[in-house]
Amino acid sequence: MAAVTRPQPELDDLPASSPPIDPWAQIVQGFDGNRSDLVPVLQRAQSLLGYLPPDAVRRVARWLRLSESEVFGVATFYAQFRFTPPGRHHVRICLGTACHVKGGVQMLETIQRRLGVGAGETTADGEYDVERVACLGCCALAPVLTLDEAIHGQMSVLKLQGILDAEASA
Amino acid sequence: MPIESRVRSRARRLRLEVDGHKVSVPAGTTVLYAAELAGVSIPSLCSHKELSPFGGCRLCAVDIAGIGGHPLACSTVVTDSMEVTTDTDGLRELRQEILQLILSEHPCSCIFCGEQDECRRSLTTIRKAGVTTGCRSCPNDGDCELQRVVEQVGITEIGYPITYRGLEAEHDDPFFDRDYNLCILCGRCVRVCNEVRGTSVLAFKYRGRKTLIGPAFGTSHIEAGCEFCGACVSVCPTGALAEKVSKWDGKADGVETSTCPFCGIGCRLEVAHKDGRLSSVSGALDSEINDGQLCVRGRFGLPEATHHYLRARQPMLRRGAYFRVANWDEALGEVAERLKQVAPDEFLMLVSSDLSNEGLFAAQRLVRSGLGANGVDSTAGASLPGGPGVWSRLFSLPVSIKALSEAETVIVAGLDSRFSFSVVGVQVRRAMREGARLVAVDARESNLARMADEWVRPEPGDEARALVEAVRKWPGGGTLAVVVGPRVFDCPGAGELVSRLETLAQDEGVTVVPLVHGANIRGALELGALGGVLPGPRPDEGRGLTLADMRAGKHPKVLYLVGEAPFTTRPDCDFVVAQDLYLPPFAVDAFLPAASFAEAEGTLTNLEGRVQELRAVERLPVGAVHGFALPDWKIFSDLAGRLGRSDLEYADAAAVRKTIRAEVSGFAAEGDRAPRRMAPAELPVEPAGDTVQGTGRFVLVPERASFRHRGIDLAGVVEGLGELHLEEGLRMNVADMTRLGVEPGGTVTVSLGSRRVAVAARPDPDCPRRAAYVSLIEAWGGVGGEAADPALELLSRLAARPVRVRISAGDRSPARKRGGAHVPGR
Repeated sequence: MAAVTRPQPELDDLPASSPPIDPWAQIVQGFDGNRSDLVPVLQRAQSLLGYLPPDAVRRVARWLRLSESEVFGVATFYAQFRFTPPGRHHVRICLGTACHVKGGVQMLETIQRRLGVGAGETTADGEYDVERVACLGCCALAPVLTLDEAIHGQMSVLKLQGILDAEASA
Repeated sequence: MPIESRVRSRARRLRLEVDGHKVSVPAGTTVLYAAELAGVSIPSLCSHKELSPFGGCRLCAVDIAGIGGHPLACSTVVTDSMEVTTDTDGLRELRQEILQLILSEHPCSCIFCGEQDECRRSLTTIRKAGVTTGCRSCPNDGDCELQRVVEQVGITEIGYPITYRGLEAEHDDPFFDRDYNLCILCGRCVRVCNEVRGTSVLAFKYRGRKTLIGPAFGTSHIEAGCEFCGACVSVCPTGALAEKVSKWDGKADGVETSTCPFCGIGCRLEVAHKDGRLSSVSGALDSEINDGQLCVRGRFGLPEATHHYLRARQPMLRRGAYFRVANWDEALGEVAERLKQVAPDEFLMLVSSDLSNEGLFAAQRLVRSGLGANGVDSTAGASLPGGPGVWSRLFSLPVSIKALSEAETVIVAGLDSRFSFSVVGVQVRRAMREGARLVAVDARESNLARMADEWVRPEPGDEARALVEAVRKWPGGGTLAVVVGPRVFDCPGAGELVSRLETLAQDEGVTVVPLVHGANIRGALELGALGGVLPGPRPDEGRGLTLADMRAGKHPKVLYLVGEAPFTTRPDCDFVVAQDLYLPPFAVDAFLPAASFAEAEGTLTNLEGRVQELRAVERLPVGAVHGFALPDWKIFSDLAGRLGRSDLEYADAAAVRKTIRAEVSGFAAEGDRAPRRMAPAELPVEPAGDTVQGTGRFVLVPERASFRHRGIDLAGVVEGLGELHLEEGLRMNVADMTRLGVEPGGTVTVSLGSRRVAVAARPDPDCPRRAAYVSLIEAWGGVGGEAADPALELLSRLAARPVRVRISAGDRSPARKRGGAHVPGR
């Protein structure tokens, strides 16, 4: 691709709809603006920011001269990208075959009732984010979920309530 | 690429057999198009002639000898001696299965309704009262590709559980509604937005069952940069996308090819009519100009502009304190009487450059020949930056919009093609897809600057000199297209730019496209409907009244406004006649209702010099309900008759064109749309100067208002354009507003020398720092008595060119001090 000479868009002047992105230089470091770098750039943005806020999508789009819709379309295709800020605690609920059979869905519903957020969302107080995964690799413990690094196996609705109560009072 | 041009191309030809029909096609043709050429129809939903193969709906599966499985006709390229079978029991069953799967997620009571037979029968019964017209649950009912495919594939029931996605229909954006419950994810809209328009506002979002179409993060189309060109609506095979205005019109009675009456590009239109009324508009597949594409005005603006409820359709006269309806005889009699009495140097006719050629020519002929007066002028004079002299030189260059897409280097200056001249933007992006290098010269971050290979960002209002510099850097050799937006010709150094463009255009491979607002502005110049210009164009030595004289306080006794209302209050004249689609926002003595672009035959001259036809699609009975509007030329012809000048009468529009041809050499013969070059003439010129005048930290840049048609602001009659708020207030950079401490919509005071004007400021993300943009509202009338913002009017009077100003927060205008309403002096 021919060298691209253009002033940086004055994005600082746009009203910030989400937290300002400081690590922009880090995000694009080592990339030279080829459209084929889209996914690696998004991955780096997410690893630095924790998620992909609208500003990051807009900045990446302008930088690669793509439309925001195209960038968002690609990002939403992959399960690895998230668009809401991660919570301080990270709940992952397995809905793989074994967990599904053993009642993983009830675990997800319990979490939803308790925290008021569904899969892929973060509670308003930023305390928890919930993610559904396809397998955690310990099907013998089904239904299984993780809370941050801890694995909780052979869950029941009551056990889950207990764990959340303990967390809340901690 | 349209199928015809594929077939006409010089590629190697291949033979194949489709269902026993022998056909020969050029290499690169898909099996689907080859079958179409062989007269075999293969059902398909996602393929479209204008778009690349997608293979999404999988309905076009066929059998090909030697290829295993069921390859897709739309994405399989023909090889020599191919044998294709499109209709076997197996294929039919496969298609029925696939179609059932598609319909299991698409509400289809229009197809499988138990009451259908009964419903049809009762609809044809004679009834006395209130008719239930069957359920019209989908705007596409009766004109739906999905319904046609169901008929072709032949299914009568769905063997799968029905799922309804339960998505909320989206009505928030202007012009078209979106109900993605009806979407079958064929991806045509995504592809047309990306491949043809080059905007990529629409994309597939999420994955699998949750897949949706739309812009990022569920933002509105307005925020996402949608041009509202309606290309997605045109290609949608279902009722998922439907335009608001004609949504429930049903299947059109017929379609006619006409010309867009809103700007000088002269896009060709397919105008659909229903029950004698214009229903909807789409782009005609005319490879010369727009190739099926349009901008927001052409696609969505026509029906409302001609059908708005405030449209004035009857002649009216002032009688003492009353302004009442009159008949044509009475109204023309009164106007003719006044015209007979007025002295030639006390008469002025202002004629809009949006009239047809016939109207423009008959207007100036009536004044010059019929009244012996010289007082013909137009706000078009003000719309031609640099004066008519500059434009007669620019129009003498070979202007070609089509050549844009074939250029290897494109330089675009001072143009944001989102809402104005969109078709030019489409051609530029098409060139880029073919590998062209785009250089944008713009102080604003325009939609084209955003995707340019090189973005030259000069100081605000300094695009002309930057463009000269950018052109100088072009190494030569290869093909070059230079697109120049109207604003650039107001910038300092524009004189040098015009000379430079003239020299450049001598080169074989160079195309220059100078852009200017006004639908028939080239016609107005050529036919002498401007002050100081005679048909030809030739310079007019005679001195008549002009609009500038009126601005300076010299008023005519009789003022005749034809599609113009460049005042907010009634000018100080004895007798004011208005001839337009809508009443002007001030009191007049006589009103003559003119036929709109959809009601009369005529021609318009586009920026390339093509003389193109306007077709009358409205066929409504003349009377109190639908009015008595007459074509402009007809009104002038009738007036001439009453003045006893039968030599200025015309039998029909063709007779006017015949007279034009006698006076203007090279004016197109009937049915000839070829582009023409104008002979340059020594006409008045307003030099742009060498520097930006004034003092202050900000540069105030005037932009010529583009959403105008005759005397009206289109944003006032077309609801969606009003929602876009494109030409309101003073547009500034957000950071500058924050620095001044002004909220969006808050008041700022602009100081030009000793003049101070208070005006509302609006944040504009594309605007550079230390600049403010304002739309010139010279030719603004408004609709329904609503006058323009006097402060903006004053501002556009004071700043006809980029000028340095001081801007401060709050209202510090003299009007404020007096405590009264601010009335601009004139």
